[in-house]
Order: sequence, then structure tokens, then C-alpha cells
Amino acid sequence: MGFLTILKKLRQKEKEMRILMLGLDNAGKTTILKRFNGEPIDTISPTLGFNIKTLEHRGFKLNIWDVGGQKSLRSYWKNYFESTDGVAWVVDSADARRLSDCARELHSLLREERLAGATLLVLANKADLPGALTVQQIKEALDLDSIKTHHWRIVRCSAVTGENLLDGMDWMLDDIASRIFTLD
Amino acid sequence: MSDRHSVLERLSRRDAQRLEKLQKAHKAREEVDACNENEEYFSGAFKIKSEYIEDLLNQIPTLETNTLPSHFDSIKRDVNELQKYVVTSSFFLKEFNMRKYLGIVQNLQTKCYEMEDRYVPRKKFGFSKKKLPKSHDQKQNSLDERDGAAKKDSNKWDEKLFGFDSIENKVLLLQNDDLFQRDVALRNLKNCTIGLKGVMGTLHLTNLESCVVLTGPVTSSVFIEKCNNCRIITACQQLRMHTSNKCDIYLHVTSKGIVEDCSEIRTAPYNLQYEDLEKHFNMSSLDKSCNNWDRLDDFNWLAPDIPSPNWSVLDVTQRVNNWNDWWSKIPL
Ligand SMILES: Nc1nc2c(ncn2[C@@H]2O[C@H](COP(=O)(O)OP(=O)(O)OP(=O)(O)O)[C@@H](O)[C@H]2O)c(=O)[nH]1
Ligand SMILES: [Mg+2]
Repeated sequence: MGFLTILKKLRQKEKEMRILMLGLDNAGKTTILKRFNGEPIDTISPTLGFNIKTLEHRGFKLNIWDVGGQKSLRSYWKNYFESTDGVAWVVDSADARRLSDCARELHSLLREERLAGATLLVLANKADLPGALTVQQIKEALDLDSIKTHHWRIVRCSAVTGENLLDGMDWMLDDIASRIFTLD
Repeated sequence: MSDRHSVLERLSRRDAQRLEKLQKAHKAREEVDACNENEEYFSGAFKIKSEYIEDLLNQIPTLETNTLPSHFDSIKRDVNELQKYVVTSSFFLKEFNMRKYLGIVQNLQTKCYEMEDRYVPRKKFGFSKKKLPKSHDQKQNSLDERDGAAKKDSNKWDEKLFGFDSIENKVLLLQNDDLFQRDVALRNLKNCTIGLKGVMGTLHLTNLESCVVLTGPVTSSVFIEKCNNCRIITACQQLRMHTSNKCDIYLHVTSKGIVEDCSEIRTAPYNLQYEDLEKHFNMSSLDKSCNNWDRLDDFNWLAPDIPSPNWSVLDVTQRVNNWNDWWSKIPL
């Protein structure tokens, strides 16, 4: 058995996926992770390094990495790229003024060779806020239609109300699963 | 084939050693109680584990090709475990040390992948690198107009901004319903007093010079960027402060505040008073009894055990104790 086959088997058996959550600081990554894991969300501090959560969902074992988005931490993002199956790119929908920063960071991320092939879920977070932009506006500002290298989808959600979070995640898991667990 | 036996033996011996080490570590762990979770113990355990992984890496050239995949697999697991160990210890590790340990883990990881490239034919750990067919999800999107997509000028969204921009020497006030859960921005202000009596969602202060900012509770974050010589009296869940100096922050923060590229920042507890403040606190759902105003994290201060020189607690004798007269006059 070749090396790849063995690893494939291994992963298949465990149905393990590695999900990387990235985005600008304050986008709501940690809040989403905690909400997803059913933990309280009102005592979350800005992330100084990163958090990992391993959780079971629909028979998958998810290793979710939430990496801090402050400027001085972005150069460390690359340390987490290896063997990533899906990227959840979290956007603060109410923060119009930083959308161009956000677009720049996203597109430079997508050029990363080690992320080639990873599924991209754009979470337009904080949809509960009155000033939140629409999905269409965010899609344009981030120039998502130009992305041809990754399967992607944008979902409007809120970590506070929980709205649409599961739908988004489920789409990503299905997309990844159809790719990595049906080989052979 | 002939030395397959010895390889297996070697591997199981390794495994036994590993178990023993783990047990030792486990035992040592039990001996210290929870409040003894300290850096010294951590660094000892970390050393054992990282040396063990180093060991595994050094064995690679002597191993038979067909055992390599599982060998690499177990190294990766160990590295992952070690990384988790560092992360779960983050509550008592200083930022600087955290990065140091993560750096070591990173090196082990890199070395592992390099050796894998070198020793495992057809190399690459690559499900996620598979070339993909064109995305089917783009179908419905491709109908959307493409114009404007190319230019992402942030100014395009300027009309979305809510707050004050480019004003000097004025007293500015917003209150109640105007503010409720909004994303409020104060930008390019000089020598102004800004009163925000209400509950906001987020507050952005950008490029303020010699201003006094008096605010009610902010449900999520307060951003402060490029502010100099200001007094900021605010309550929030998170404070995120960048590239600012000489500011006094009278702060209520229920999680933790951070500073990055700042200097001469001083903090004091939030002491604003106005009618409805209590009500606003309730509406904001901020916990009034939990305030970490004196525990900022500095992204630029990496030395453990020495407090950051970039911020300090404002001396009690120098604090403003009552802001009532400040609402209605400009600072200078
Ligand atoms: N209204 C609203 N606020 C949110 C939502 N998600 C997160 N927030 C708030 O946004 C702020 C930032 O959230 P975090 O989860 O710390 O953001 P982050 O992306 O992890 O930030 P870094 O760790 O610095 O990268 C917090 O005050 C959250 O309460 C949401 O869906 N709606
Ligand atoms: Mg975070």
C-alpha cells in the first residue's frame, strides 16, 4: 500500500477534517467557534495566538483552528496551512471601512500553494447588526466571483443569534467530504 | 525483509519508551496540584516531548521504507499533541514564551515535512492539494454583474459610516436611539469633546488629536487607532488599541483589552456618570461587575515577567473623578 493510500484510509476511518478559521481581527472567529461548540460567548478576549477545538459533528471529527487576526499575527497564519481541508473566512459585515483590507488578505491567502484545493466558506458574520452590509455587497467588495481556484460559498450568519452557522458549516463539510472520503 | 523483525522490535521498544515517558510526565503532573501549573514544570515536560520527537526524526534514515508512513504519521500526531499542549497551557505562558515554544514545534513540523519529502517516494501529504474541477457553486453567481467588482475602494462605503468626521474645536453629542447597537465611527477630529450617551454595537476612534470621548456602554469592541493625547472614557466587551500614544483610558472592559504599537497609555477604571447609564448597561448586556481595566495585553511586549513599558495604571491622584463639567466644553 502506498503512503497516500494508507493516509487516505486513516483519514477515512476517522473522518477527520482540519478547518482553519481566518479573517481580520474582530471579525468574530472565536465567537463563532465557541458558539459552534456551545460555550458562552460573552467573555471572549482578542486572540493572542490561536485556539484549537476538536469536535464531533455529523460523524465527522473536526479539528478547528482559530487563529488571531491582529496585524502582528497575520504573518503567523502560514504556520497553520498544512493539510487544511477547509478555510472558514470570517468577515465582519458591519465593518465597511475595512472591507478592502479584508479583500486583500483573502486574495493573498488564496494564492497560497498549501491551501490549493481547500474548500472556502465565507462567513458574512454579524448579520444581526443594523448596519450590516448585504451578502451581495460583501461578495462584490471581496470580489468573490473572481475566485476560480477553490470551491466557495458565502453565507450570511451571526455568531450571536446562531443564525445560518450550521448551514454554512454543513455545506463546507459536505464539500470536503465529497472530495476526500470518496477517493479509492 | 530480513530485518523487518528488528524494525518492529525497535518500534515497539520506542513505543514502550514513549509510554514510560508519558507515564512519568503524567505522574509528575499528578504530583503538582492545579495551582502549581507553572512554566517550570511546563518547560520540563515540553523538553521531554520535543526531544522525543527529535529522536524519532533522527531515526528516519535508519528505518525501512515501508515502515516510514506509519512512522511519519505518529510523528505528526506527536507534534500535534505537543502543539496542543502549548496551546492549552496558554493561560499561564507568557506571550513571548508561547511564541518561543510554538516556534520549536513549528521547526519540528517543518523538519518532519522536509524529511517526508526526502524519504518517502511520491511524497507530499496531499488530499487537500488535489486539482479541482471548476466549482459548481459559481454557477448562480456568474450571472451577477461584474462591473465595479474590480475596484474595491473603501470610500465607496463611506456613506455607511455613522458618526463624526473631520471636525475641529467642537462639542459633539449623539444619544439614545441614534446610537442603539450601531457601528459608530469618530474620525479625524481635533480638540473636540464627543459625548455618546447610548448603547453602541461597536465604536471606532480613528485619528483623534487632543479629544475627550465620553461614551456609554459598547456591546462588543472599541477600536482605537492613531489617537494622540486623548482622554477616552468607555465601557465595552473588548478594547483593541493600535498605533496610539499619550492617551488616558477610563475603561470598563469585560474580557481583555489589547494594545499594539502604542506608547504612554494609562488606564483607570470607568467612572462616567449620566442619567440612564444604568439602563444603558442593562441594555448592552455588559457585566457591570466584571472589569479588567488594569490587565491589558501588549502585542509588542514579549518579555515575560516584566510589565509592558507601553502602558501603566494612571495614578489615583492624577485621575479625573467627575466628568460632569466636561460634556459641554472643548478640551483646550
Ligand atoms: N453583534 C454581533 N457581534 C459579534 C458577532 N460575532 C462576534 N461579535 C463580537 O465581535 C467582537 C469580536 O469577536 P471575536 O470573536 O473576539 O473576534 P475574532 O475574529 O476572534 O478577533 P481576533 O481574535 O482578534 O482575531 C466581540 O465583541 C464579539 O462579541 C455577531 O455575530 N454579532
Ligand atoms: Mg479570536
